[in-house]
Amino acid sequence: MMARLRFQILITTVVLGSCGLANSYGLEDDAFLDRVVPIFQARCLECHRKGLTKGDFSLQDASSFFQDGYVERGDSSGSHLVELISSQDNHRAEMPKNGSPLTGDQIEAIRSWIDLGANWPEGYELTYDAQVAPPLDYDWWSFQEVVKPAVPDLVDSPNRHWIRTPVDAFVLEALERKNLAPSKEANRRTLIRRLSYDLTGLPPTIEQIEAFEADLSEDAYDRLVERLLASPRYGERWARHWLDVVKYADTCGYDKDKLRPNAWPYRDYVIRSFNDDKPYRRFVQEQIAGDALFPGTEDGILGLGFIAAGPWDFIGHVEVPESKLDGRVARNLDRDDMVSNTFNSFCSLTVQCARCHDHKFDPITQEHYYKLQAIFAAVDRADRVYAVDPKVELQRSALKNQILKAEESLEKLNERLNRSGGQALVKLRKRVAAVDRGSKKPEFGYHSKIASRQDTLKWVEIELDQPQSVKQIVLHAAHDEFNNIGAGFGFPLRFRVEINGSTQFDRANADFPNPQLTPIVIPVSGPLKSVRLVATKLAKRSSDFHLALAEIELLNSHGENVAATGKVTALDSIEAPVRWGKANLVDGIWYEPSGETRKELQSELDAMVLRLIGKSGVDQKSSFKNQIAESRKALSQLPKGKEVYAAATEFKSQGNFKATQGQPRPVYFLPRGEVSSPGPMLKPGIIPLSAEQMPDLEIQAGESESVARSKLALWLTDERNPLLWRSVVNRVWHYHFGRGIVDTPNDFGRMGGERSHPELLDWLAATFRDGGDSVSAESFKDLHRLIVTSSVYRQSSNYAGKGMTADSGNRYLWRMNRRRLSAEEIRDSILHASGLLNLEMGGTGYFLFQLEKTEHSPHYEYHKFDHTDPKSYRRSIYRFIVRSQPDPFMTTLDCADSSQSTPARNETQTPLQSLTMLNSDFSLEMSKRFAERIELESEDRSVRIRKVVQQSLGRYPTELELSMMEDFVQQHGLVNLIRVVFNLTEFVFID
Amino acid sequence: MTIDLLRRKFLFDSAWGFGSLALLDLLNAEDRSVASQGNVQVATSGILHHPPKAKRVVQLFMAGAASHIDLFDYKPALEKHHGEPSDFGEKVEAFQNGLGPWMKSPFQFKPYGASGKMLSEAVADLGSCVDEMAFIHNMTGKTGVHSQATYLQATGFQRPGFPGVGSWVSYALGSENENLPAFVVLPDHRGFASNGPKNWGSAFLPTSSQGTTIFPQRERPIRDLFPKSDLVTPSSQAQGLKLLDKLNRDFATTREGDERLESRLRTYELAAKMQLSAPEALDLSTEPKHIMKMYGLDRAGAEYPESINVPEEIEYFGRKCLIARRLLERGVRFIQIWSGNDNSFPRRNWDSHEDLKREHGPLARGMARGASALIQDLKQRGLLDDTIVLWTTEFGRMPSTQGSTGRDHNPHVFTNWLCGGGIRGGISHGESDQWGFKPLDRDNPTQVYDVHATLLHLLGLNHLKLTVRHNGIDRRLTDVHGHVIREII
Repeated sequence: MMARLRFQILITTVVLGSCGLANSYGLEDDAFLDRVVPIFQARCLECHRKGLTKGDFSLQDASSFFQDGYVERGDSSGSHLVELISSQDNHRAEMPKNGSPLTGDQIEAIRSWIDLGANWPEGYELTYDAQVAPPLDYDWWSFQEVVKPAVPDLVDSPNRHWIRTPVDAFVLEALERKNLAPSKEANRRTLIRRLSYDLTGLPPTIEQIEAFEADLSEDAYDRLVERLLASPRYGERWARHWLDVVKYADTCGYDKDKLRPNAWPYRDYVIRSFNDDKPYRRFVQEQIAGDALFPGTEDGILGLGFIAAGPWDFIGHVEVPESKLDGRVARNLDRDDMVSNTFNSFCSLTVQCARCHDHKFDPITQEHYYKLQAIFAAVDRADRVYAVDPKVELQRSALKNQILKAEESLEKLNERLNRSGGQALVKLRKRVAAVDRGSKKPEFGYHSKIASRQDTLKWVEIELDQPQSVKQIVLHAAHDEFNNIGAGFGFPLRFRVEINGSTQFDRANADFPNPQLTPIVIPVSGPLKSVRLVATKLAKRSSDFHLALAEIELLNSHGENVAATGKVTALDSIEAPVRWGKANLVDGIWYEPSGETRKELQSELDAMVLRLIGKSGVDQKSSFKNQIAESRKALSQLPKGKEVYAAATEFKSQGNFKATQGQPRPVYFLPRGEVSSPGPMLKPGIIPLSAEQMPDLEIQAGESESVARSKLALWLTDERNPLLWRSVVNRVWHYHFGRGIVDTPNDFGRMGGERSHPELLDWLAATFRDGGDSVSAESFKDLHRLIVTSSVYRQSSNYAGKGMTADSGNRYLWRMNRRRLSAEEIRDSILHASGLLNLEMGGTGYFLFQLEKTEHSPHYEYHKFDHTDPKSYRRSIYRFIVRSQPDPFMTTLDCADSSQSTPARNETQTPLQSLTMLNSDFSLEMSKRFAERIELESEDRSVRIRKVVQQSLGRYPTELELSMMEDFVQQHGLVNLIRVVFNLTEFVFID
Repeated sequence: MTIDLLRRKFLFDSAWGFGSLALLDLLNAEDRSVASQGNVQVATSGILHHPPKAKRVVQLFMAGAASHIDLFDYKPALEKHHGEPSDFGEKVEAFQNGLGPWMKSPFQFKPYGASGKMLSEAVADLGSCVDEMAFIHNMTGKTGVHSQATYLQATGFQRPGFPGVGSWVSYALGSENENLPAFVVLPDHRGFASNGPKNWGSAFLPTSSQGTTIFPQRERPIRDLFPKSDLVTPSSQAQGLKLLDKLNRDFATTREGDERLESRLRTYELAAKMQLSAPEALDLSTEPKHIMKMYGLDRAGAEYPESINVPEEIEYFGRKCLIARRLLERGVRFIQIWSGNDNSFPRRNWDSHEDLKREHGPLARGMARGASALIQDLKQRGLLDDTIVLWTTEFGRMPSTQGSTGRDHNPHVFTNWLCGGGIRGGISHGESDQWGFKPLDRDNPTQVYDVHATLLHLLGLNHLKLTVRHNGIDRRLTDVHGHVIREII
């Protein structure tokens, strides 16, 4: 019917003669409504309709459909829309993202409609029926159970002798399927350099290289692997990989980029966990819920540094309260970081895509996502005690003893005083106490802004939550010595009091005498919701005018003041704490002096005490008091214990940043991710990995917040969670070979990369999970051993043979990958070659910048750093990492950006890198120190040069090299040669 | 990613210059059959979808949030109702407590140019350029928190981890001059704004696309361009590079087929070229007197008081503008100039909570003088036709009073202006309401995505198609938003 109607309209257009292609337009119109519209309605509008995602592409009406240039009228081949819905070179079509691709007929219908001009009847709008959401599609490899596949049987392969480990069998099978063959084994020098960097991040010494070259025993390679895996350097190297993924840094990032002085214990925890070969399950569980699952252990708390590792918005938490939208946005984004860090790192799932809408590719709904946020709803990032420090504890007990002793002495002295003072002393003390009660407190009251005219209108109001029965309103005028005004400061000359919006007490027609400090009592009948004092003629301050009031009491029939339960608002307020603020109007504090003066009474008391215990007694008394005060102060400044920056529910408040005390914040379903329009509140839950799994976690009312985190930790590490096991072995593979079996280590979803060796991935995952083939379950070191002892790993990295054309990217590993060293490896190697590398482990990060202006926004001045500072000669993993202002030397060398998860480093070659390597203060200082050391060791130029080459490149120079270098050194000195050596490709690449 | 794409990625990672071998060069250089393979296909084909109007961009970023209603967005209603209790007709959450009475601007407004655009006296120097400029008065943000809002304007996302707009442009277009970086940043001489260098970081794009910072007043304006040590002499430098080249060449020869090793040789050649080009570009001594005067740089050796003052602001901002012009002339693609540092004390940024006149006065006069000189200078050299100047800030300020002379944050509405490079001059697009509190048409504000989409459009890039897959998401500068603002081009 609709089609018919539109057809007639078009006929009209044709009659008007607007277009020469009359017939085709008409026919095309039918084609659009009958064939194209149903496709759009069924397959596109679910995501692409009006108002769904603001600013996104909508196919509902013509103007939004055509405005972004997705369609070239009359040219389907030139239309981006057609590209999106068509498969390209055997790759799945981009659109529709959910469900199966469009059929050939459907695509053809859309193409021909576009080719004929993409006519869209004027004013026609597609309707959309919100159908039942399509079922989530779990038909994707990463969600399937990990089943250990059989190792390929290659008895007939000509390369069967090449196979050393099951890993080789899988790789060889894939190579042979591609008609490729593996490369020959690399030479020994290459192997020891490769292994040393890979497992420890440091080069071998020339002695180690020579010993390995000379060792012809069959197990020489295996012993080398054992030595390296046992080295503490191993943990330092592999912890850095993990810290890249979890966004570790020593500052908060965002505005101000404040320091996190206690982040490092988490970094040390990761290093130690690798060195101890901690079982992976335990490693994961500690990082999500170590406090609950392993109570009483240090690592149970230290692991929680994971949750706190990412950036944190100081302003959004400290300066903005949760009651404001910006405060809630900051907390929503903060939990998002915790959720995405957990799922990207452990499961390689991009759950964060479901913050604003259901995940477009993977079976994750927005509801699932916010259930994950609910798991982290009670934790914040803050310092948390993980252990007591014995040294500090000694100090603490010493101080406590001092206090105890001083208190005892004071007590004795007081007893003596009281005995001899008798009733006279008691009475005098009582009089002093009475004066103290009436003395002036610093919280003066409410104070409006200053006005230049006396008739400026000002008001202040108390509004109660619920109407309450109030019998009396009591007004207390303020007291301030400003301009010698004193009592009655700021009390208006004319005013009225409005109750529930209507005037009850009107003094607006004639000047009211200043009440000084006499309370003004106004009787009330009936329930009171709000009371407002409106000043119509202000008090004079100096040459200007204002309204001030110490207190308004609202007394009920029992004489109780209920004002404090209300909220104070005012037209304006100077808000100058402690003295003046709206809150001071209902704080129960106002000035009511007693008759006697404190000063006179005090001297009377002092004189009496002096009479009773003499000068020496008085001196002793004040000395004991001082001792107590000082020791107490020192005690309060002692750290509670060793602290780590981690997930915490208890910590000292800082502005609006307050601990939850374990009480989860409400987490709502947020349509479009908008905090301003929350949907229903959600309970903690997980991501179902199959249609059968239920998202909700069973949590009883009143259980600790850590129960949800514990359940998440156990769910993550369940042997049936295929993502966890596949994710971790793929990461390990990635770091050994430079590329993962899945080359998107943080994404195993439909947008992730394809697997090069699917069976190998599952075999590794199952072996790592369950053990077998001389691998203990969950042992990283065994997994490394399995991989690095394989023939695949020992191949030469040279480009030769068929692979160069058939697999130029080396996806199937017909050779080893040559790689450039990482930023940390380069820096550590320069320190190592220079003979300055300090292998001290752990502790506070060292600075590579001068730190200035810490009181507000710290400045990290890298250009002012003195590179002769020996503290900076430790391994790069121990440097203090600044998030917003990262180290320029390291950044230029593709160091990880701690603002984002970095599962794979880039490897770039740029002129800025060359400039940095040539000219940085660090490179030059190291060249100088290296040269100075060598020059002390030998007088002979060629010996010196040999030593430089040996200690930096691990080999002897050739005769030709030696002669070129000698010429150069003769003219420019050894230091300039070393500067060149640090820039050699040979120095920064490993074969 | 397919194998061939891996090779292409490698080529990009090994890009010779500072992104001079950009995405587009790769696409043009390589066989189309290769370029159209794999799942980054959508990310690359058709990015350059029409001939560009503009080739380069200067972004002027006012850190701390510059007040629209005291500079460019004239509000007679505030003059009329000055001092009366403010009434927004709705509940307003101020960032601090700046909901005092309506406050008129402490600056006088008057009309300029043929378009009669009303400008505040604080930016009077821009009066001569208004007919080239397009103002957008209905910009709206998402947050009143400086860091998030600065990220939003600088990277298109509210939080860390995303490339700066200059990085996207350099990534796509590269540099016109391989001896200079494609993306240069001139920070405020007093320090970095909120988020520091993360505002111009490359994030997941190649490192070569990140902004290179230049501090003209430092002993070494570009880090590591030259060695600080006297151990290196011009001759040891030249001979050293020769020796290095020989040894690296020998190493590469024994490892045939690995193009990275070849490209490494080239990076040292380019580094040496940059040592020649960059100092020349930063050397203002060859600029004639009248040009120096135009930028307010005719007071060589002047000394300034401690307190914030106009001549000092003019000199510092003007110097950055003149250096920017020289860099633009030499083919730098994207330049970002910052005015204002972090929120330390005494205040040296646009975050005038306490005394608007005190900071906005000098900062605005300094900015207007430099910006106006830059626009006119580019124009007289014929460069304005294909250079876009974009003025922005993280959000606006409230029309009500904070304290007695300050203004609080207003994330609801603020002003951007653009000029040159295909922008229609002499127009104002979008309006704020009578107070300058929110956009007049609240349902159709302009967002940063729209400005970025327009910027890319003028550079010949389709913002929908310039994407990079990162951790499973096809990222683009404009996220899932953005419409080209046809009215201003």
